[in-house]
Amino acid sequence: MTLTIVLLGASALIGIGLYGALSQQSFVMLMMGLELMLNGAILAIIGFWSLGLAGMPEGQLLAIIVMAVMAVEMALGFALIVAVYRKRQADMTEALGTLKE
Amino acid sequence: MVNVVVIALILFAVWTGWRVFRVDSMVRASFSLMLSFIAVGGVGVVLSMPYIGVATVFMMAVEMMAMAIFMVAFMMNPAGLNPMMMVHQHKFSVGAGVLAWLGLSTAVLSAELPSAPVTSEQRVVFDLGIELLGPSMLIFETAGVTLLATMVGAVILSSREGRYGHADHGSRPPGLAEGGDPAGRVPDEGGGHHHHHHGGH
Amino acid sequence: MIWLLLTVPVTLAVGVWLAATFDRLAPALWGARAGGPVAALRDGALLLRRQTVRTEAPDDLNRRLAPVVYLALAAIGLSVVPVTHAAPIESPVGIVIWGSCEALTIIAVFLHGWSPNAPFPLIGAYRYAAIALPVMLPSMFVLIAAALPAESLSVTAIVESQREVWNVVRQPLGLALFLLVGLTLTQRGPFDFADGADIAGGTSAEDSGAGRALWQLARLAMLTAFSAMAAALFLGGPLGPGLPGPVWLWLKTAAIMALTVLLGHGIARTTPGRMLTLLWIVALPVSFLHLAVSGGLALW
Repeated sequence: MTLTIVLLGASALIGIGLYGALSQQSFVMLMMGLELMLNGAILAIIGFWSLGLAGMPEGQLLAIIVMAVMAVEMALGFALIVAVYRKRQADMTEALGTLKE
Repeated sequence: MVNVVVIALILFAVWTGWRVFRVDSMVRASFSLMLSFIAVGGVGVVLSMPYIGVATVFMMAVEMMAMAIFMVAFMMNPAGLNPMMMVHQHKFSVGAGVLAWLGLSTAVLSAELPSAPVTSEQRVVFDLGIELLGPSMLIFETAGVTLLATMVGAVILSSREGRYGHADHGSRPPGLAEGGDPAGRVPDEGGGHHHHHHGGH
Repeated sequence: MIWLLLTVPVTLAVGVWLAATFDRLAPALWGARAGGPVAALRDGALLLRRQTVRTEAPDDLNRRLAPVVYLALAAIGLSVVPVTHAAPIESPVGIVIWGSCEALTIIAVFLHGWSPNAPFPLIGAYRYAAIALPVMLPSMFVLIAAALPAESLSVTAIVESQREVWNVVRQPLGLALFLLVGLTLTQRGPFDFADGADIAGGTSAEDSGAGRALWQLARLAMLTAFSAMAAALFLGGPLGPGLPGPVWLWLKTAAIMALTVLLGHGIARTTPGRMLTLLWIVALPVSFLHLAVSGGLALW
């Protein structure tokens, strides 16, 4: 029963995160959407590991990997934002249209 | 008892996650996301995953502090004095979000979920340590090397020194003729809200 | 069990008074007039009587939350320190909980400067965040190194591992680096980039009355929690001959507290830019070296 609740919460977090990642124009807000999806992933891992896997250590390892992914996303995301801002003085996704045509 | 705490924490995580995209203040948005992570970390602690839960809190506190600094530094409306709703393809995004939520929830409700809870005598933190530096060491080391590559990449991307001078001076290539316009493409005046492409700071 | 939890508010209250008194004794070192043991209480009561100033369009929620969060973090940090054979909050990852409290402290200070919507507090908040984030790196290396001889992340186990020899003997660099962390967490001396006098009181510039009193209280409470944690990590916490455990812990906490206050008053503050360079170029490699040496010693 608890596992179902945890997974429903995780799917809500992933849904909100997907909405944020698709709808936000600002790079930083967009990254928040991605982070929220990863938050849902961590919640699901915690639920599965604790209630469905009898505490297999590999489950905790997976959570650590997700956290590493989050660190990579943050570091490279901010570096890209800085690079784009220096070049275009802009922080919005729409500013990057020169490859369109 | 455990159930009530878990439900409360999850509701809090979802509510704060939703607030991220609804508040007008950058700082509140970042720290709202942090609260969402802290609630998930709390679920981890309650569901006997103490190391991951507490480490999430630690990591997210540092990350969201950096996030708040970047938000305020780069956005034009940091303090929330004006309503802040900067979205594109809004209806599509709402649809995609709702669809993802409904789809995943249906999958959860219709699936036969395993039931094998952790027992209280398991030394979960010890097990994790042995796993990290034992059978799964290669995976752990790969994560380490990936993070190293990330650091190098982040430094290169955000470095101020560019091929044609300092990045915040435009870093534009020299003109084709003496004193002429810089070579290469000039971006359209379209995106963004700042229109001082040639402004020196 | 319940009396263990009760030691937390008692230790915090006594610690806050002791720290405030140390602060008022410190001027005697360079011949200025020192305050007595009652001075701290009188100053606090005076603050409470002052009226509260309101800035224009503040972030009220965060303004109220910041001191409360700071105080709560001090209490949580203190409660993972073992008083006797057990800590009020006994956790297998006690030291990680302390690390989280450290990281969240930066956010409490930042919000304290952010929320009044005024220039000096905001400058203080930014300066502090820029300095305190890199301080977290040496802090983590120091905490990991202290956990190495115990082969455990539990603070109780770390204390137990010092039965033969204190960590300060095995890892003298660790205590020195941890004192830097403590100065940062409590916004003192060389690391007082948040509330410095050079920016008219920084994050506290717009504070007055009860809010200011609570903020100062929380700072002193964090100093108490930090001193207790340093005593547990490096001076063997409640271990000691003759006297009961809690008394040893309190004595060692007071010693670390006096040392931190002394350093805070005795070392000058440099510019944020130079401090940032020092942190990244000196403190980070030194702490990494410290971790490597401690790891080698723990294996040997």
